[in-house]
Amino acid sequence: MDLAIEAVGKHFPGVVALDDVSFEIRPGEIHALMGENGAGKSTLIKIITGLYQPDGGRLLIDNKESRFASPRDAIGAGVSAVHQERNLIPRFSVGENIMLENLPTRRRLVDYEAVHAQARRFLDLIDPSIDTRAEVRRLSVAQMQIVEIAKALSLEAGVLLLDEPTASITDHEAQALFAVLRHLRSEGKAIVFVSHKLEEVIALSDRVTVLRDGKVAAAGEPIARMSRSRIVSAMIGREERTAEIGARNAVGGVPALEVSGLTTSLGHREVSFTLRQGEILGLYGLVGSGRTELARALMGDARILAGEIRLRGEPIFVTDTPTAIRRYRMGYVSEDRKSEGLILADSIRANIAITVWRSIASGLGLLTRRAEERVAEPLARRLDIRTPSLDQQVGKLSGGNQQKVSIAKWLAAGVDILIIDEPTVGIDIKTKAAIHELIAEITRGGVSVLLISSDMPEMITLADRILIMRDFVLVGEIENERRYETMSRRIMGFIHGEIDMVDAKGQAEANHG
Amino acid sequence: MTVARRFFTQEWSALAVAIAIGLATLSALSPAFLTEYNLYVVLRSFCVVLVVAFAQMLTLAVGQLNLAVGALGGLVAIAVGGMMEKLGLPTGVAVFVGLAIGVAGGVLNGLLTVRTGINGFIVTLATASVFTGINLGVTESIPFYNLPPDFVAFGVKRFFAVPYLLIPPVIAALLLALFLARTVPGRYLLAVGGNPHAAELSGIPRDRIVVLAHALSGLLSAVGAILAEAQLGSAQPTIGADWLVISFAAPIIGGAALTGGHVSVAATALAVVLVVLIQNGMVLAKVDPYWVQFLLGALILSAVGLNRFRAIRIERA
Repeated sequence: MDLAIEAVGKHFPGVVALDDVSFEIRPGEIHALMGENGAGKSTLIKIITGLYQPDGGRLLIDNKESRFASPRDAIGAGVSAVHQERNLIPRFSVGENIMLENLPTRRRLVDYEAVHAQARRFLDLIDPSIDTRAEVRRLSVAQMQIVEIAKALSLEAGVLLLDEPTASITDHEAQALFAVLRHLRSEGKAIVFVSHKLEEVIALSDRVTVLRDGKVAAAGEPIARMSRSRIVSAMIGREERTAEIGARNAVGGVPALEVSGLTTSLGHREVSFTLRQGEILGLYGLVGSGRTELARALMGDARILAGEIRLRGEPIFVTDTPTAIRRYRMGYVSEDRKSEGLILADSIRANIAITVWRSIASGLGLLTRRAEERVAEPLARRLDIRTPSLDQQVGKLSGGNQQKVSIAKWLAAGVDILIIDEPTVGIDIKTKAAIHELIAEITRGGVSVLLISSDMPEMITLADRILIMRDFVLVGEIENERRYETMSRRIMGFIHGEIDMVDAKGQAEANHG
Repeated sequence: MTVARRFFTQEWSALAVAIAIGLATLSALSPAFLTEYNLYVVLRSFCVVLVVAFAQMLTLAVGQLNLAVGALGGLVAIAVGGMMEKLGLPTGVAVFVGLAIGVAGGVLNGLLTVRTGINGFIVTLATASVFTGINLGVTESIPFYNLPPDFVAFGVKRFFAVPYLLIPPVIAALLLALFLARTVPGRYLLAVGGNPHAAELSGIPRDRIVVLAHALSGLLSAVGAILAEAQLGSAQPTIGADWLVISFAAPIIGGAALTGGHVSVAATALAVVLVVLIQNGMVLAKVDPYWVQFLLGALILSAVGLNRFRAIRIERA
């Protein structure tokens, strides 16, 4: 089956996820789809599987124009997919999950013998050790991923799309999967394969398409003609982007927060780093690498199984988030400002003052408008929050102004350490620069910032040093030289596992000396 | 695993133990309890509650809820009564049309929820008021008393201690258990409740399944209404007015997940048995019936707490 999309676009409020993208999959090929976080790969897959409707462009199946109004249509047309998110029914058995699209019946009743026998066939292709009668919610993450793959295989579809299928499985299982994919290719199936692992892509695929910022940066190039450095270049772009934020004080070097050997209930192992006073320390990694979870652990939202956290030299025990905020003066700006960071229906005034309500309330415990204004007014001016009035509902502000409010509330709380998670997702370029300037500005006042971001240019613009996290482990630490091309190559090197920690340390020290 | 341990990992084990204790206590304390007639009275009081609990259980299974169970039941009750008394229609026809009204009310709830995207809580809160309004507007709160004798007889007849009235709920329970465990639409219903997004990605017509759950819930409300009518021997406009709390209580005591995807027919039925036993016990012990309400609340809280505790224990094990 031949599937093509032509000149497809997809807009979300405030972001262009895909812009004039064409993409073609031929029978009997494995087509790799690559790009950085947020380049538009998953959006493209969701359009091909009928989960999103494109804003423009055409979808062609065997050169006939068609339309997938729902995943059901796509499945009906012979397109099946393994999405990045988990899509299993937790309380159902492995076998039933695999066969869910097509439950075998006998005399109108589900025939569980057949369910398990048929599921077994697909599961055996990758991992014969998983019991088809086990409940899915009792499986490990890797086992669930294998069930997802088996489920996609069970449709025996003409087009198979796999969005990072190897992200959480072992090498051994990945090799089994590749063997299956090669076999399917020989049967004339069309396969789209999304991966961040260059070795896999080069070893497995016939052609590669690279997306960058929602546009096609390399269109179906035969893999033989693409070197790994050409793929990386296509992913990160050629143009040298320079760091342009106001001058910052040299970092004092006094450690503000020292983390050593931190192992958490969320899965972090032996995480160690030092955040110096007034520094912006970057934390880079792919989605799911454990960055946001590290922020949660530092804020007291996970059990610390081993290791130590020191604040200005003193060991601290963050038992819960209120303790982190009040006693240790730490704050966290959530990546999801709409659902975690702000109370959208409430005013700017209340959203900024919320962190200090307890201390600004009058003797009788009453909050006055005046008290809130005394806190919010100077911050709104300092952060340049554009609004006719502090009574404005936060939900009605632009994304950039919302982000300023969510930073302002922590400044109101007087934090010394601020963890900022993906500060500019869904924010336009101009406001992005203002947010960057703001983050640099707050460090001048002595606040130390741990910056989590998947946005490479942002990282290179802002961070003094960059930590790289992969699978809940820190795999690298580099001084930021603020040259886009060299820095992004080094960071990608860590992400794709080409450089190990020892090398990097040596290099960093050499650079210092 | 020993037999005892296997028993206690079952969701309904605590209920079964509670019922056993209740039965033992009641028969020890009150010689009247084990008489054939009292058993008949107790069994007869299960019937309506059982189907009402199943009606709510189905919407919970798909991750929805139905605040209109009682209101729709009331509407069906007076419609069936009116058709038999005022229009003189044969019992079979009246019952059939009554069931159809139940399905139609459920489909309305489902379609409104799915099409408008408005939360099912709001939708069924509103339709409940609409159904009750029609009910009271048509009847002006006056019951229909002259129901056909064969219909009324069905509500009283018994085979030793077993009332005929118990037959429809038992059939409903067996069919439901089979439906949810072994049929494709039944599995889809639980799949949508368990993970709506995943279900949709698997090509399950999510909206149609939600409407199906509401339709079946409406059907069971109608069955409950007709049974209540046969039990009372008259079509009261107030039928269904007191169904709401017990309709949620039984599935929840039976371990249903409020987020959807997990219900148990057996445990829901046992929860009904437990609640009715307690009510009967209180009557025998001459306790003020108002305290039954209090006890029901306490029971919901302790059952949910116990289930949560058990879930955590199993997670850790």
